[in-house]
Amino acid sequence: MTMIDEDELSAAIRGAADEFEISKDATDRILGEARKGEPGLLRFRVPEYFRHQSRALQFLSVAAVFIVLAAISIPLFRGEISPTKNKVAVSGSGFRPVTRNSAGLAAKGLSPAPLKAVTGQLGVIVTGSTTQNAAVLSPKIESTGSVDLTVKKGQVNSSLTKLGGLATGDGGFVLSTQANARSHGTGSFSSGTIVLEVPQHLFTKFVSQVQRVGHATSVLTSSSDVTSQYVNLQARIGALNASRQQYLAIMARATSISGILAVQNQLDAIQSQIEQYQGQLNVMNHATTFGTLTVTLVQSGQAQHVTHQRSGLSKAWHDGVDGFIAGFEWLIRLAGPVLFAALFLGFLVVAGRWTRRAVRRRRI
Amino acid sequence: MQRSLGVDDLELWLEEGYPQSVRTAYLILGNRLDAEDAVQEAFLRAWKFRHSLSKESSFKPWLYRVVVNTCNSKLRKEVPHRDRRSDEEELENVDVRDNVPDRIALVNDVMSALRDLPAHLRIVVVLRYYADLSEREIAIAIDRKQGTVKSRLNEARRRLALHPALRSEASNKSISEEEVTG
Repeated sequence: MTMIDEDELSAAIRGAADEFEISKDATDRILGEARKGEPGLLRFRVPEYFRHQSRALQFLSVAAVFIVLAAISIPLFRGEISPTKNKVAVSGSGFRPVTRNSAGLAAKGLSPAPLKAVTGQLGVIVTGSTTQNAAVLSPKIESTGSVDLTVKKGQVNSSLTKLGGLATGDGGFVLSTQANARSHGTGSFSSGTIVLEVPQHLFTKFVSQVQRVGHATSVLTSSSDVTSQYVNLQARIGALNASRQQYLAIMARATSISGILAVQNQLDAIQSQIEQYQGQLNVMNHATTFGTLTVTLVQSGQAQHVTHQRSGLSKAWHDGVDGFIAGFEWLIRLAGPVLFAALFLGFLVVAGRWTRRAVRRRRI
Repeated sequence: MQRSLGVDDLELWLEEGYPQSVRTAYLILGNRLDAEDAVQEAFLRAWKFRHSLSKESSFKPWLYRVVVNTCNSKLRKEVPHRDRRSDEEELENVDVRDNVPDRIALVNDVMSALRDLPAHLRIVVVLRYYADLSEREIAIAIDRKQGTVKSRLNEARRRLALHPALRSEASNKSISEEEVTG
């Protein structure tokens, strides 16, 4: 292989390089700049920690930052991806979501405290029953239902008022109402929903009354017997009360402070359990005292959302279309976090390269 | 512990290293003004980051590392986007002493051969055969392994041997030697 002689090459290069004079002013300029202070050549200062770390440590540091950011961002995305979980937890009841017009109502079914007063749009106030000495042996029934009504045009508002009046007339109350206008500026509502609570023993009769307010397109009622749970709760509370009495008797005889404290601890625990069961009992009491009926009103002539019973090819076709749309929605939903992750990774790569280049320059 | 460096030290650096650094940069960049620019910037940069000198074993490769990095930066950013001056214009700056035609021819040939080398090979050749750095020092200066330096030097010498400008230079030299001996 042909190779140029090293001495010849060295001599030639030296000869070429030594052919021009070096400017004397240049060194003075450099010294002048140096005397002025730090030259502003690099505006970005790599932190001392990174400057003297090996590449592996730099990589680990970047990875640690990435993990911390991921740990922060992933729960945020989870919260966005599945908002229905939160909605369900907030609405709390088994009915379709409605807009509550009283803050206290939102807690229905969640708070162990009894519902003392419930305010509806019509201003009805009813005191809930908290009687513990109700007849234990009488059956405890929870009733719920929904009725879809079609009313004449412009009568949605009056029908809502009428339904509220029916409920209060039977000793019940309005839990919530929601009225929707079809278009702005019309002054009347085109549809509405009202949730009514009526005494349990009048529930069936009340459903019949409601159907007469308009043309019923759908009626759905359901009842469940919760007597056994009710009795069970009462028995537990009774047993705990008995224990409480015994501890109180022991406490009366206790002489030492440590003994009193020990008994007091037990009493506190028992009291807490009693209150918990009592709360459940109160909720159950309310649910069995009042039946809940959701009435949806739509004025005639407005298209209703009717669910047809499909079968065969039609059902398969619609299922397929629904599945396709669901898959598409899922893809769009997924695209957000993926895009964020891609952008973030891209940013990390660019920042990493830039930092690496800067570090290498700073090492000089 | 190393004492803190003052401007007097910079003056010493300049006395010892500036001329050779400028010529090194000139061989790498192929342009006198670019070379002076690069070396001024390199010295200011070296001065600014003089604290990193304590971590280097030797001053010379450290300084050349700054110079090479600055030259690389210029090659990457500035030089490709600017019209290069012609060789003739460059030669106007050549200090004319004796044997002017021969010297101009030598400069032309060497610079032409170097310019035709890729930058990474040109740098190692200049550092080895002009700046007189060892392979280990070059490795420090260009932040590569010693084996890489060795292979780059071999490749550069192989290419230079095939370059017509240096071949003619070698043949001229051999002819003139024959004339002297004959």
